[in-house]
Amino acid sequence: MACTSLPKHSLPFLQASIPTRNPHSPTLTIISKLSQSQIYGLKLSSPSTRLVPSSSLPPRTPMCAKVSKGDVPPSFTLKDQDGKNVALSNFKGKPVVVYFYPADETPGCTKEACAFRDSYEKFKKVGAEVIGISGDDPASHKAFSKKYRLPFTLLSDEGNKVRKQWGVPSDLFGTLPGRQTYVMDRNGVVQLVYNNQFQPEKHVEETLKLLKSL
Amino acid sequence: MYTLTPHSHLPTLPRLPRTCRATATSPARTSTADPPRHLPITATTTITTPATANGSSLHSTWAHRAWVASGFASVLSSLAKSVSAAVDSGSAFDPLLAAFLGYILTDLGTGFYHWAIDNYGGPSTPIFGRQIEAFQGHHRWPWTITQREFANNLHALARAVTFAVMPIEFFATANDAAVHAFVGACAGCVMMSQQFHAWAHGTKSRLPPVVVALQDVGVLVSRAEHAAHHRPPYNSNYCIVSGVWNGLLDEWKVFEAMEMMVFFRFGVRPRSWSELELEWKEESGGVSSESHNC
Repeated sequence: MACTSLPKHSLPFLQASIPTRNPHSPTLTIISKLSQSQIYGLKLSSPSTRLVPSSSLPPRTPMCAKVSKGDVPPSFTLKDQDGKNVALSNFKGKPVVVYFYPADETPGCTKEACAFRDSYEKFKKVGAEVIGISGDDPASHKAFSKKYRLPFTLLSDEGNKVRKQWGVPSDLFGTLPGRQTYVMDRNGVVQLVYNNQFQPEKHVEETLKLLKSL
Repeated sequence: MYTLTPHSHLPTLPRLPRTCRATATSPARTSTADPPRHLPITATTTITTPATANGSSLHSTWAHRAWVASGFASVLSSLAKSVSAAVDSGSAFDPLLAAFLGYILTDLGTGFYHWAIDNYGGPSTPIFGRQIEAFQGHHRWPWTITQREFANNLHALARAVTFAVMPIEFFATANDAAVHAFVGACAGCVMMSQQFHAWAHGTKSRLPPVVVALQDVGVLVSRAEHAAHHRPPYNSNYCIVSGVWNGLLDEWKVFEAMEMMVFFRFGVRPRSWSELELEWKEESGGVSSESHNC
C-alpha cells in the first residue's frame, strides 16, 4: 500500500543541553552528551564528557536546587499513602529508586506505576526500594495504589516542595510536572538521573540497568 | 462533523476505573493548576436504539440539501476565482501548491477538532454541544454514518463552510489565485471530510472502486487507519481527511501532551482517560439502561 506520510523526527525544541554547576569545583561541568530528547528520554548520568571526572569528587549535598549524579540529595519526610511519615533516610544502606511523576490516574503515570509494579521483583532481587512521588494527597495515592495493586511506597509532595528542591524540570514550557527518576546507591549517592515524560516504561528499564551494574 | 444521532441519551457520567487507565477522581496538584472540576457522583442513563430505529433521522431534508448546495457554491466560487486569477497571471504553480497545502493542513485541522470534540465538553456545551453529543453517539453506533444520506451527513459542515468562506472571500484580493485556491481546498476538504469519514466506515465491497483506490494510496483516510480510532484506548488516528498526519501526531504523542497540559492547567480530564468505555464502546444495537454510582 503506497501511502504518503510525514517524516517523524524528534521535536527539536525539546532537545537541550543542561549545564550543571558544582560549587565545590571551580570547573563548570557540562554534560554535552545527551542521549535523547524529552520525548524519547534524557539520561543525565553519562560521565564521559564531564570536564572533571565525577569519581574524583566527593559526594556532595547540592547547595543549589538541583540534584545531579554524584550528589547526595537532600533528605525529605513526606506522607505515604497511609498517611504515615516516611523519610528518605529510612532507606539508608540500600539502593533507592525515587521516581517523580506528574499525577495519579493519568495515562503515563499509570503506565509507569504498573511498569514498576510488574518489575518489582527484579528491584527486590537487587535489594532496591522504589518510591514514587507526586503532588497528589495521601488519599489519592491510596486509591491509586489500591486500584493498581502497587507494592511500593507513594509519597505526597504537596506543594511540590521536594520536586522543586531536587530540581525536577518541568516539561512543555513549564505546564507539565516533569517525569524524572533518581537512583541512589547504598551510600545514598545519586548514580542515575533519567528524564522521559512520554515513554514512562523506559524509566524501569533504565533504572534496572543501572542497578544491576552497581 | 457528526450529525446528531437522535434517541441517544448520552450520559454525563463520572468515570469508573479500568485496569491501568486513568479515572476522573484525583485533582491535579500543581501550583499552577486550577481546582479541578468534579464530575457528578451518580447518574442514570437510558440508552435507546440508535438512529436506525427512526429512519427519518438518516434522510436528507430540503434544508440539509440547501446548506450543502450553499457550501459547494462557496467552495466552487473560491476555486473558480482561483482559476480565473491563475489564467490571468499565467501561472498555475502557486494556486496548485496552495490547494495542496490546504488539503494537507485540513487533515491536521480535522485531527485537532476531532480530538477536542471527542474528549471535552458535553451535550450542554454552548455551540458545540450537539456535535459533541453526535460524536459520542457515533462512537457507540459507528455504522449509522454509512446509512446517512449525503446531505444529511454533510449539512452541518456545509453550513460552517458557507459562513466561513463568505467573509474570507470578501476580503481576499480578487486576483490572488493562491489564496482562493487555499480557501477553496480547505473548505472543500472540511465539507467532504464527513463523507471521507463515512467511506472509512464502509466495507470494501460496497465502496466505489475509485474510493477504495484513493484510500489505499493514502489520498483519503483508510478504513484500517480510522478503525484504529474506534478501538481502545480511542486516543489515536483523529485525522479524517487523508490521515497523513495521524502517524506523526501519534508518534510524537501530541494529543497526549495536550491532554496533560489541559489537565494540569484546568483540572479537566479528557474522555479518553476514562475507564468506563460505555461512551466509546461500539454498541451492537438494542436497548440498555445503566445506573452508575461513583
